[in-house]
Amino acid sequence: MEHQDQKFIEFKNIVKRFDSFTALDHVSLTIPKGKFVTLLGPSGCGKTTLMRQLAGFAEPEEGDIYIKGKRVNGLPPYKRNTPLVFQEYALFPHMTVYENISYGLKLQKIPKSVIDSKVAEMLEMFNLLNLEKRFPKQLSGGQQQRVAFARALIMGQEILLLDEPLSNLDAKLRVEVRTELRMIQQKFNITTIYVTHDQDEALSMSDMIAVMRNGRIEQIGSPWEIYFRPANPFVANFVGVVNFLKAKALKQENGILAVDYCGKRIGLHSNLEATQGANVLLVIRPECMRIAGPEEDCNNEVFLEGTIENYSFLGRVIRYWIRVDEETLILDDSNPDLSGSRNGKVRLILDQKKIHVLDCEDATC
Amino acid sequence: MNTGISIHESLKEIKRLKNEPLLLIVIVAIILFVCYFAVWPVIKVVTVPSLSDYGQLFTRSRWISALKNSLFMTLVSTISCTTIAFLFAYTIARVDVPCKRLFRFITLLPIVSPPFIVALSYILLFGIQGIITKGVFGLRVDIYGRFGLWIVQTVTFFPYAYSVIYGVINSISTNLEYAAYNVGASRWQVFRDVFFPLCRPGIAGGALIAAINVLTDFGNPMMIGGDLALLPTEAYMQISGWYDMKTAAVLATALLVPALGIFVINRFWVGQRSYVTVTGKEISLHPFELPKAVKWGLFSGCMAFSLFVLLVYGTLLYGAFTKTWGYDWSLTLDNMKYVFFKGEQILNSIKFAFLSSILAALLAMVLAYIVQKKQVGVNKFLDFIAILPGAIPGLFLGIGFVMAFNTKPVELTGTSAIMVLALLFWNIPTCYSASTAGLQQIGNSVEDAALNLGANSFRGFKDIILPLLKAPFLSGFVLSFLRSVTCLSVVIFIYSPHTIVGTVSIMGLVETGQWGSAAAFTVVLIAVAFGVLKVARYLLGKQGIKLEL
Ligand SMILES: Nc1ncnc2c1ncn2[C@@H]1O[C@H](COP(=O)(O)OP(=O)(O)O)[C@@H](O)[C@H]1O
Ligand SMILES: [Mg+2]
Repeated sequence: MEHQDQKFIEFKNIVKRFDSFTALDHVSLTIPKGKFVTLLGPSGCGKTTLMRQLAGFAEPEEGDIYIKGKRVNGLPPYKRNTPLVFQEYALFPHMTVYENISYGLKLQKIPKSVIDSKVAEMLEMFNLLNLEKRFPKQLSGGQQQRVAFARALIMGQEILLLDEPLSNLDAKLRVEVRTELRMIQQKFNITTIYVTHDQDEALSMSDMIAVMRNGRIEQIGSPWEIYFRPANPFVANFVGVVNFLKAKALKQENGILAVDYCGKRIGLHSNLEATQGANVLLVIRPECMRIAGPEEDCNNEVFLEGTIENYSFLGRVIRYWIRVDEETLILDDSNPDLSGSRNGKVRLILDQKKIHVLDCEDATC
Repeated sequence: MNTGISIHESLKEIKRLKNEPLLLIVIVAIILFVCYFAVWPVIKVVTVPSLSDYGQLFTRSRWISALKNSLFMTLVSTISCTTIAFLFAYTIARVDVPCKRLFRFITLLPIVSPPFIVALSYILLFGIQGIITKGVFGLRVDIYGRFGLWIVQTVTFFPYAYSVIYGVINSISTNLEYAAYNVGASRWQVFRDVFFPLCRPGIAGGALIAAINVLTDFGNPMMIGGDLALLPTEAYMQISGWYDMKTAAVLATALLVPALGIFVINRFWVGQRSYVTVTGKEISLHPFELPKAVKWGLFSGCMAFSLFVLLVYGTLLYGAFTKTWGYDWSLTLDNMKYVFFKGEQILNSIKFAFLSSILAALLAMVLAYIVQKKQVGVNKFLDFIAILPGAIPGLFLGIGFVMAFNTKPVELTGTSAIMVLALLFWNIPTCYSASTAGLQQIGNSVEDAALNLGANSFRGFKDIILPLLKAPFLSGFVLSFLRSVTCLSVVIFIYSPHTIVGTVSIMGLVETGQWGSAAAFTVVLIAVAFGVLKVARYLLGKQGIKLEL
């Protein structure tokens, strides 16, 4: 059983074509039971298409899909029990809230009293009490969205598919619903696949993220791995603001890779096996650098010298654009001074442990 | 798009149909059915006359003048229809004046009336026995001819232009006008530079709808045209007077060509130039208050026209209960008794209208569903055959049915079936656009959502799609019922003594000067039409759906 829980949902080499266009190109993904897995990627990369293969709205040209160890290719959608929350909600406009939520159970010929109590539970959980007689068009966007959640969740608490469910909400509500959603998911231990193009959503909610581009999965990993150890520049860029510095590899020793950047020797925590002189790319997040104080002694640190070109005050942080040699680096000062921004020549201290190195010799770089 | 690729894709989609035999059978059946009953009659009419028969069109002076007169009447009546329609549409949509309900009612009345009713009433008012000409002033004037026809067609057909123009004006966000005020435009500049240009597609569309109706109008010229030679009436004379099918076919084809032209322009040129969908969902502000003089000027214009229309209908009602129009103005129920006596004809009207509309609405719904929701490779073609009958004048369709179905294998002359079939195809485009509009409101994923929750395809269609299609189905049905009950041009060629309908006998009564009975007949037909409209509105209203005409 242990084994099956690890492979609760499995995509194996899925290929999906629309005529000559390949929307999914050998996608493989394994989802353990009870995990919250996010498909993250730019619009049009195939996230919805992958989700639709799982729900059975379309069949892949190649590859297999397993749910709980059972191959489901060819199984019609109504036999898969994969409740899905649609991006545009797809509420039935001619049914009341009650009828919408209970529709799936009604199809299963469950006694009315059982349905009623389950609906009541959902109404309560999603804060929809007293709205059950309304029609969808009489609800606000947020309420419609909660009805869509309730309609899916009432189908059982094993699998839940969510296709950009928050994209039609305003920013503040989006953050609130995020937390609620994650709490419900953890409470019932629901295996969830969540589709989004918003990296904040992906990082804040997921146990595991699969970053997609052009119908392929670029990287699968925990939010930490995706953020700090991106597999390639695309992933690095997609999950947040990032600086790239071109450097040359010097030596790999016990998990420390020495690189040469503009004549400076920098030792980095990385297992990358790069031959001496190979091009590498340093991946540095804006918060992994800081500006040294004017009097600070930097001799024990790795530091670069630059000139502040511009800044933007964001409240929690000040974001600086700093010219270093040919490049402009972005640096977030998370502890802004009351006296305002810095300017002129500064020294940037790099946090060696958090700098990531990519091999630049292959084509992805 | 690349034609090569799209043909290739279509072929692939057609091949895939092998997996859905039911759908394939339905599609083939529909195509055969529509081609046989809508395309074949057209081909028949167009191909029966020889080239030299067509040559007559340009050599016989009567046909030349018929052609000229038809085009001239179309031009002047279209201009007046569009002007009045714009006046009403602008006033109702944008000006804060009283009596808007009355104005709306006035734009609806002629649509639910038989097409010749205004002509009939006009005769009752201004004819030789007219209540105004003879009764009040003791005048003898000849009202038959161009001028009378122009007035009558304007009243009859402005509502068609109105509904298009109103739709467009209503969809223009007032925020756009405020944006222009905001950058310093005066009222007149806003009207000229922002509002009017945005209306233009609507005005063009409305004008074309009015034009096609005026051009193919048969009832009004028949009653009030007098000696004026027009294509539809001349075609009718050829058949009813001389049984000359060939010449009738020539004249009908001469009518089909401009009608098709207008139809194509409207659909493919004006249709593409609409700005309707440009503005977003923002809430519109109240329209800017007009200067008092302009406001009350618009109001008076609408009011004067409305009173005239009310006069027209009032006269008809009065005529229905008057002993002998022009001589004895005392009230009587004799005319109503006569209608009762001829009740079978009213029943025929209702029966044929009901059957043909139900069938048209069903067929159109299936067609619209396939075109909108299934990729079958021939979607464009299906769409085309569904709207095609809309380009065929009723009169042409009538002649076509006579010519196509008077011999074996399908001999239908004189049967009820031919009446139902002709009206059915005449109504398909009406129902098809209602169903299409309804289906476009249904998001694609709603059906998927039902499957996702465990409904199989059949259940999903039954629980989700069918209920959502109820409203467009009903509105298509009601519209075509109203059109059929009041239709004259299609049925005048194909009725038989058993299948005679109300509109046909009204025409006969008018020709023999039996005004009172004609008026009574008309009143009953309008009552039936309004009754059906009310019931349908009530039924739909209970489900919170507004029936749009
Ligand atoms: N039914 C379809 N027919 C043709 N192309 C499609 C279809 N569905 C999706 N695509 C294409 O596949 C690609 C991936 O789409 P989708 O999965 O919806 O992207 P997203 O990641 O934004 O959800 C897009 O380029 C889209 O145009
Ligand atoms: Mg998507």
